[in-house]
Amino acid sequence: MDELDETQLKNHVDSLKQQLQFNREKTSVSIPELIKWIEEKMNEDPFLNPDILKENPWVESSKCVIA
Amino acid sequence: MGEMEQLRKEAESLKDEITAARKAVQDLTLQDHVAGTAVVGRVQLKTRKTLRGHLSKIYAVHWGDSKLCVSASQDGKLIVWDSYTTNKVHAIPLKSSWVMTCAYAPSGNMVACGGLDNMCSIYNLKGKDGNVKVMRELAAHTGYLSCCRFLNDNEIITSSGDCTCVLWDIETGSQKTVFAGHLGDCMSLGVAPDFNTFISGACDFTAKLWDIRDGQCRQTFGGHESDINAIGFFPNGNAVITGSDDASCKLYDLRSDQELITYQDSGIMCGVTSLAPSFSGRLILAGYDDFNCNIWDSLKAERVGVLSGHDNRVSCIGVTPDGMACCTGSWDSFLKIWN
Repeated sequence: MDELDETQLKNHVDSLKQQLQFNREKTSVSIPELIKWIEEKMNEDPFLNPDILKENPWVESSKCVIA
Repeated sequence: MGEMEQLRKEAESLKDEITAARKAVQDLTLQDHVAGTAVVGRVQLKTRKTLRGHLSKIYAVHWGDSKLCVSASQDGKLIVWDSYTTNKVHAIPLKSSWVMTCAYAPSGNMVACGGLDNMCSIYNLKGKDGNVKVMRELAAHTGYLSCCRFLNDNEIITSSGDCTCVLWDIETGSQKTVFAGHLGDCMSLGVAPDFNTFISGACDFTAKLWDIRDGQCRQTFGGHESDINAIGFFPNGNAVITGSDDASCKLYDLRSDQELITYQDSGIMCGVTSLAPSFSGRLILAGYDDFNCNIWDSLKAERVGVLSGHDNRVSCIGVTPDGMACCTGSWDSFLKIWN
């Protein structure tokens, strides 16, 4: 903060005033909702649900055939 | 008391008030809530493809969709890859080989890159004659370009070593908004899934959340003890993950405005270079200076897997939009696709 000039320092203080105003949610609300979102999506997460990667676009599913 | 001294005192007092406001809403910790949750089982991802063609260190990779990705190397090339076949769709020679970042537009029509030339160069992939040409050079930053991300075909956000981020109008080449406030080089940025906000990580050890339209910094997150090199939104847009030279990653909750958990291990002593969440966010993949990529259980903060196979630093990582694979890029000049 020592390198800031007066204008920059004023802006810094103004920004902090604005950030203080942020409407903070209680963690007892935000954390369970975050976890619920994750747990619901885990079933669709290819790295956690091996069934999804049964059709794997990066793996050749059959041997090459010369017709 | 001088004006400057008064302002400094005011700043310190405001920071204390913010700390208190955060504490006041902390009636539950993440650890409390997941005490009864089991750690996910060991995650073993295999290399499915190796993308060979760059002749020097790879600095950045970005997925366009779930098949095509663009990579940037200090061999002076941007390569657009079809990751299914490993074919090079485009190999674009750059004016400046000192590239540090690249991005694919969501439309698939353009790519961008930049680095020590302090500029962001936009390339049109869908030109009439099939040749890929520079469409615009966005110049105004007074420091290196560390990261860039398209909002759409006409707007891109850049982060720079000059401590600012900028929103550009690509058509006119002008700066629409300058996001100033970081006290150190901006190293990385991420755009929210709803495109209304973006986050930046910097060498002042903080991450900032910015409102794209009004240019204001809404939130600042501290706690890291060194430069933040990598940053990303959690898939639901309500949390942010950061990776730092202090060898840790952190998860910050946007709604309660605070750090929830740190991903670190006494055995890891090198910096985090890159990170990406899996589709659900339950896993965080993080690239490190020690050539590995660790996979973390984001809720239990335990390591559940490792991607090893590169012969040098993992500099960049990205997960496809559909979560089906991740791509790592390395100073060993190769990209690897894993799932």
